[in-house]
Amino acid sequence: MATTTDPDTGPSTDADANAGDPTAEFRKNQSWLFDTTAGTYLRKIVVGFVSTVSLLYLLFPLYWMVVTALKSTQEIQQIPPTVFPENPSLEGFRLVIESSLETGGYAGVVENVFGVTISSAINVDVIGIILNSLKVSIGAGVIAVVLGTIASYVLSRREFRGKNALMSVLLASLMFPGTAIMVPEWELINTLDLYDTHLSLILIYGAMTSPFVVWLMKGFFDEFPDSIIEASRIDQCSSVETFWYVIVPMARNSLIASFIFAFLLAWNELVFALTLLDNQNYTVPPGLLTFVQGFNTQWNVVAAASIIVSLPVLLGLAYIQRYFVQGLTGGAIKG
Amino acid sequence: MTHLELDGVTKVFGDPEKDGVVAVDDLHIDVPDGDFLVLLGPSGCGKTTTLRMIGGLEEPTAGEVQFDGTVVNDVKARNRDVAMVFQDFALYPHMTVRENLGFGLKRENNDMTDGEIEDRVTEVAEMLEIEELLNNKPGQLSGGQQQRVALGRAIIREPRLFLFDEPLANLDAQLRKTMRTEIDELQSDVGITSAYVTHNQEEAMTIADKIAILNHGQLQQLGTPDAVFNEPANLFVAQFVGSPNMNLFDGTVGERGDAYRVEMDAASFDIPKRLVDTEFATTDVLVGFRPQDIFQGRGKKRGASGPSFDAEVRVIEPVGTEAVVHGDSNFGDITAKIGGFHGLTAGDELSLAIAPEHVYLFDARTEALLKGRLIAERADTQPPADGVEV
Repeated sequence: MATTTDPDTGPSTDADANAGDPTAEFRKNQSWLFDTTAGTYLRKIVVGFVSTVSLLYLLFPLYWMVVTALKSTQEIQQIPPTVFPENPSLEGFRLVIESSLETGGYAGVVENVFGVTISSAINVDVIGIILNSLKVSIGAGVIAVVLGTIASYVLSRREFRGKNALMSVLLASLMFPGTAIMVPEWELINTLDLYDTHLSLILIYGAMTSPFVVWLMKGFFDEFPDSIIEASRIDQCSSVETFWYVIVPMARNSLIASFIFAFLLAWNELVFALTLLDNQNYTVPPGLLTFVQGFNTQWNVVAAASIIVSLPVLLGLAYIQRYFVQGLTGGAIKG
Repeated sequence: MTHLELDGVTKVFGDPEKDGVVAVDDLHIDVPDGDFLVLLGPSGCGKTTTLRMIGGLEEPTAGEVQFDGTVVNDVKARNRDVAMVFQDFALYPHMTVRENLGFGLKRENNDMTDGEIEDRVTEVAEMLEIEELLNNKPGQLSGGQQQRVALGRAIIREPRLFLFDEPLANLDAQLRKTMRTEIDELQSDVGITSAYVTHNQEEAMTIADKIAILNHGQLQQLGTPDAVFNEPANLFVAQFVGSPNMNLFDGTVGERGDAYRVEMDAASFDIPKRLVDTEFATTDVLVGFRPQDIFQGRGKKRGASGPSFDAEVRVIEPVGTEAVVHGDSNFGDITAKIGGFHGLTAGDELSLAIAPEHVYLFDARTEALLKGRLIAERADTQPPADGVEV
């Protein structure tokens, strides 16, 4: 085929008889269609390595918490630290539960029923702080979801002056560090006579998370097909019926995602809770902090307490997480 | 069951005083009880807006929408007792087919018990052959099945009016034809007055009792499919209806004895006066032929001879027993739909001719129709008694 070489492209190399014919070259060498064996292995190794490193990076703190809870105080302070506990014990958990039972006022009940006398040096009621946190987090979640959804529905469906400005303000409020407004918030809460109440935290957390819910739900409503709402109007629904029978069920995933977001923020928030509550009303983050007592801190107790307070949230999230992912990524509407 | 009337209906989006967009302009349409009206027009001609105003999803800026003589402008969509099929079907994705069908009945202010609703759902599902799908969610259905559910949701309530907003646009070509027939059958069976929006002229021609052709929000013509095809009110209608598109050429017209003499760049021919009902107020005309009316061969056919010309075949598009042939003639580009194309190849010469009855003439300036396409038998046997309405 060297005869077909175009003179304009210069003299043919003649090294390969087919050099001038792309079709023949293509038939002969189809390697680009397939991966080489070496390439396949290389890709698998790189992917595997990166996954392993990220996994370790993500899971190591959790692992360390569990391991610490199972170690004795002495082993925790040992240098170099041990990766696997040498004498695993549940001492930390025992101390947390005992303190919880005693501080919660159940010591007498336990003594009568099990014949075990409880005397604890630590006075933190773990069950109590979990209940407090649940109360605050659920309250904040409900406020954020209700207010945020209604606001986002209006922002998405209606045109009015200042709408963009309003959306920008909501976004800006998410960027504002909460502690920057700590002093005015404190003044406000005092004026309302809400100091040391869980309601104060519910209101603040609800306000902190609503803007995010507005943005999340606005994305959902923006993509909500008009024709479905119109179909329900034609099907003789009033606006309220449309909202309740059509929009809310379709928005379920996004509503759940919004709720979880608000819930988790409230569950993890430390600074406001520490500032606005007294010891006996503490939620989980400041409650855990009371286990940390300078040089005397029993880290196995702290770790055990952390695990215990995480359990309710972990269980809840494990159940609900698929809605969370669907809600965040959208695509919940399929015709 | 309802006599639908649009009386001067106008819709302006935005501020009518300033830079509002006129979507629908002074529309007068009268649909007798049980008729199937198709609103036909290109994108953005206001046909969907018109339908939405009938359904109560948009409020007219001016004019009246009347059901059986009652003005319903201020009646909310949910109180109008209309049913609508949407282009994207708009099924409730979180409900099963059964719930989708029953939803309207449940919300309606009627005395039906759950059992009665269930019976009605089953009945409709059987009618549409979707009984097996009752427990599926819309997401699990194919396009055609979703379409049936959407139809079912409309007919289950036995509304005063059916409204269809391009219901077939999201289906594939094959299904579109089947569903078209089914919708037509269904509407004839239940006899409910319907309004149907489409931009597909073929769909409109096959399904309609009456077609309203809109352009830029204005009604161009309201008539039966036949009238719209044979006597289009103006050039726009003539070009929009019919496939392939009409051939159009410039020409002038003059009188010669008992015929009008049409002069074109490359040919001239006579049209007997008995074939023309209107007076010609102009000499500049546009001459149009439907590709279907062009036949092969020379000389006379059906009495008077029309224009004839030679064309060099450029492209042949076979469509079964016939072919659409694009060619160059001494008029310019020409499209013809002819049988017996099997010996043809590009570059061949064809002799083509048109009967004068089939020639359309339009006023070159106003684009109004001067002469429509006459159905041959009538034109041959008798001079037109009363004028063809334009």
